[in-house]
Formats: sequence, structure tokens, C-alpha cells
Amino acid sequence: MKLALASSSASVEEVRKQPAIQVSNLSIVFDTNRGQNIAVDRVSFDVAPGEFVCIVGPSGCGKSTVLNTIAGLEVPFEGDILVEGAPVYSPRPDVGMVFQQPHLFPWKSVRRNIAHGPRMLGKSRTEANAIADNLIAMVGLTRFADAYPNTLSGGMQQRVAIARALANQPRVLLMDEPFGALDAQTRAVMQDNLLALRDRIKATIVFVTHDIDEAIVLADRVLIMSAGPGRILREVAVKLPRPRSSSVMLEPAYLALKKDCLDVIRAEGLRAFNQSDAN
Amino acid sequence: MQEATSTRRAIAIRTGGRARRPDSVRLRRLNILVGALSLPLFVCLWELVSRSGAVNMVLFPPPTVVAAAVLEWIRSGQFFGDLLASLFRVTTGFIIGGALGILFGILTGQFPVISSLLSPLFHILRPIPPIAFVPIVILWFGLSEAGKLFLVVWGVFFTVWLSTHIGVQKVDRGLVRAALMLGTPRRQMLQEIVLLGALPYIVVGLRTAVSISFYTLVAAELAGAFAGIVYRIEIAQQNLQTGQVMGGLAALGLISFIADRLFAALAERLVWWR
Repeated sequence: MKLALASSSASVEEVRKQPAIQVSNLSIVFDTNRGQNIAVDRVSFDVAPGEFVCIVGPSGCGKSTVLNTIAGLEVPFEGDILVEGAPVYSPRPDVGMVFQQPHLFPWKSVRRNIAHGPRMLGKSRTEANAIADNLIAMVGLTRFADAYPNTLSGGMQQRVAIARALANQPRVLLMDEPFGALDAQTRAVMQDNLLALRDRIKATIVFVTHDIDEAIVLADRVLIMSAGPGRILREVAVKLPRPRSSSVMLEPAYLALKKDCLDVIRAEGLRAFNQSDAN
Repeated sequence: MQEATSTRRAIAIRTGGRARRPDSVRLRRLNILVGALSLPLFVCLWELVSRSGAVNMVLFPPPTVVAAAVLEWIRSGQFFGDLLASLFRVTTGFIIGGALGILFGILTGQFPVISSLLSPLFHILRPIPPIAFVPIVILWFGLSEAGKLFLVVWGVFFTVWLSTHIGVQKVDRGLVRAALMLGTPRRQMLQEIVLLGALPYIVVGLRTAVSISFYTLVAAELAGAFAGIVYRIEIAQQNLQTGQVMGGLAALGLISFIADRLFAALAERLVWWR
């Protein structure tokens, strides 16, 4: 009511307060040959603009499915998903995605891979290359701008994939276990890279992982999901100071948070175990 | 103490390496030498066996006789006519068959309806050896060039179609999803992702089709021609010019070998990111 009559500055304020992502009562049901499988059961959550949210849960809890649905890649679902206030039915250029596998175009050099998005949105080759070169510098791959993906290490490929997802300047960046296939050392470096990168871009980030440490190190807020059917068990706000690096894992405050999360996960694991035992 | 052991171990490794290296170098040189001698040795043996009297020299002429026959073939001016006729059939048939194969492979690979319509038919026609079509081709086309092209096109088409079809279907879905997330319109997916994703398969199909086009050339020219390498072999056979027959075989082998090598070099450039 007030909104309709409000001045333009107030409505700008209102737009800023609007969540970047609103998921309400999201259910996803797959038809299998043994009947219907409820992958995700009435999941609701909001993500504020600029917020970094991690979704953790065991494999098969539907966390990646939720992410794909927000991306517009998973078509049949019940409930509502609004990104920047608009419903999602198909992929949108203001929503970027980084997958577990880099999925780089093998026939394009690093620069052309990153320039692909801007080119598809109608930018000239020069403009797109300029955008790409900026991002290449940001992820520290200037020496490899003309290299082809198959000559890069896994960590470098995933850095290219992140830069490529950022090239369209998405308002929302979705990351589906992007460091899951990397070794422990590379993963720690990538987490620090992402934290540093995050301070320079303004995107809202939803990051899916099964690694509770990774979730707490990166996120402003952690959503813990359970499996079969996928539900949100608990929200944990991570009030650790920023700028942050993976060395935050040695702080007492970090350990207290991790204990909270592990308690929730352990209780759920026990419940699921007893249930399967009873069956 | 510890330093001493580590030094000793380092020395042991190094001497081991030094002892092994000349051996491997010698072995590699020996292999190159044997490789270089392979053909000359074979030719000498052939010459000896032919002239030993153990075999009929008319039916099994020595390489010197074959070489003389080939020189005579070249000097008479017929060789280049035959070569051109054969190469024309192979290349034209390869290009037409390859282009059609790629076109239909993309159509059946990309659109399930077209695949349902055409794939059963193609799968029934594909295993029939092209040579089996010679009688009907003679009925349809007589001894014209069109009939010969038809056979080569037929042989090339199915191989290229199948590999393109499989290549298009095997395109990484992850790449398509990534491209969608980057704003690639669905109607541009073919040119941006599918064609390039399928290219390695298409190239393998085309390379296989190079040898197939030579097999079918043999069938096409045996079915009746007025020039061509295989035609010349057949004529020479009727005249009991065994040297000429063998020279023709050698020429055919050499040409298809060169064609395969050229295509292999081209394939490396086609799939430039490998």
C-alpha cells in the first residue's frame, strides 16, 4: 500500500531490500520405475543481495537439484522461485553457474572461452576480449590466455570456468561443488581465491558443497540439508569477520560453529540410520 | 652418516642410469636401421625367389620386371590418364558421400523424429557391401561415370553418417548446459557447440571413409570402365601381363597410402585443439 505511493527513492530502497533469490515451497519429484521419488520437499529460503550462502548436505539430498532449478535448468518443479523478483523458467544471463566439472569449450582458448558469454549477448569481439582479459588477470591466468583447456590443470580450468561465469556480470552466481573434484591443497587455494574474488564482485552467491569446512569458511550463512527427501534442517549464520581466508579454521569461533553444524548433521544421520534399520 | 648413505644411493642411481642409457640409444638406432632395410630386403627376397626357378616367372615376375612394366605404363602416357580417372572418382565420390553423410548425421543425431524415420532404413542398408550393388548399378547407369560415383558415394556415405550421428549424440551435455547458462540461444547451439563437439568423431569417420572409397573404387572399375588404375590391372590380367598387374597393385597401394597420410595430417589441423 505504502509502496504504491512512495517516492522513487523509496522504491529504489525497496528494490534493494528485496531478496536476490526467493525460494518458496520448492518441491521436485522425479518419476522412477519404482514410483515417484521426492528429491526435494517443500524447501523455502531467501538470499539477500550480495549474500554468500552455502548449502551443505550428504550426496543425494537434492542440493544440486535445487541449484539447477534456480539456474532454470531443471524444468518440472512445484513452488515458486524468484530471482531478482522475476520467476525463473529457463537460463538467464544475469544468473551465472559454475559446475563441478569445468565444462570448458575444448576448442576455444582461455580468452575465447571467457569471451563466449559477452559475444552471445551481442558484444563485439574487441569488447568481449577486453572483458575476458580483465577477468583472466583477476583469476591470475594472464600467462595462459591463449592456452587451450586440455593444457591446464584442474584448478586452473575451474578458475577459467569461474571467470567465464563472471563475464556476463551476473547478479547471482550459482556454484555446484566447484572444488569437489580438486585435491585438498588446490581446494584450499581456490577457496582463498574465491574469498578474495568475492570482495571484488558484487554478485549474490549460492554455493553447494558436501564439505562442512568449506561451507563455513566461505559463507555468510549455511543451510544444512537432509537427504531423502531433501529438506532444510537448520540455518546457521556465520558471523566470522571478513576479509576471510581458509586460516579462519583455526579460530575458536569457527570451531564452535562447526560443532553446531556437526551436531545437527550427526543427529540427522542417526535418525536416517535408525529409520533404514527399522525398514 | 645419513648424508653418506644418500650420496651413495645417488651415485648408485646415476651409474645405473649411465649403464642403461647407451643400451637404449643403441637399440633405437638398430630399430631405425632395421626399419630402413625392411622394404629393400623384401624386394631383394622377392627378386631371388622369382628368379630361383622354384616359381613360374610369368605368374610371379620379379620386381625388376614389374618396374619395367610400370615405366612402360608411364612412358605410354596411359598412367596419368588412369591415375586421373581413378583419383577423380575417389575424390568426387568421397566429397559427395562425406558431405551427405555429415548432413544426415547431424539431422538424425540432433532431431529424434528424423532419426526415427531414417535410422532403421540406414541400418538395414549400411551392412550391404557396396560391391553387391555392382549388378544393379550396371543396370541403372550402364558403364557411365555416374554409376561409378554412385558406388563410391554409397560406400562413403554410411560410414560418415554413422560416425557423425554418434558424434552429435555424444556431445557433452555439460557443455550444452554451460553454453545455455552463458546466454547461448538454442538455435545457435548447433554451430557453437554440437558441430565442434562432434568434429573429432566426424574426422575419424571421414578417415575410415578414405580407405572405403578405394575399396569401392575397385568394385566400380571392375564393373566396366574405359580408364583407371584398376581397369588397367584387369586389362593386364586378361593379357597375362603379370608385371603390369603387380605394378597396378603397387600403384593403388601407394596412392591410398598417400591419401591416408594426407588425411591424417589434415585431421590434425581440423581438430585443432587436440
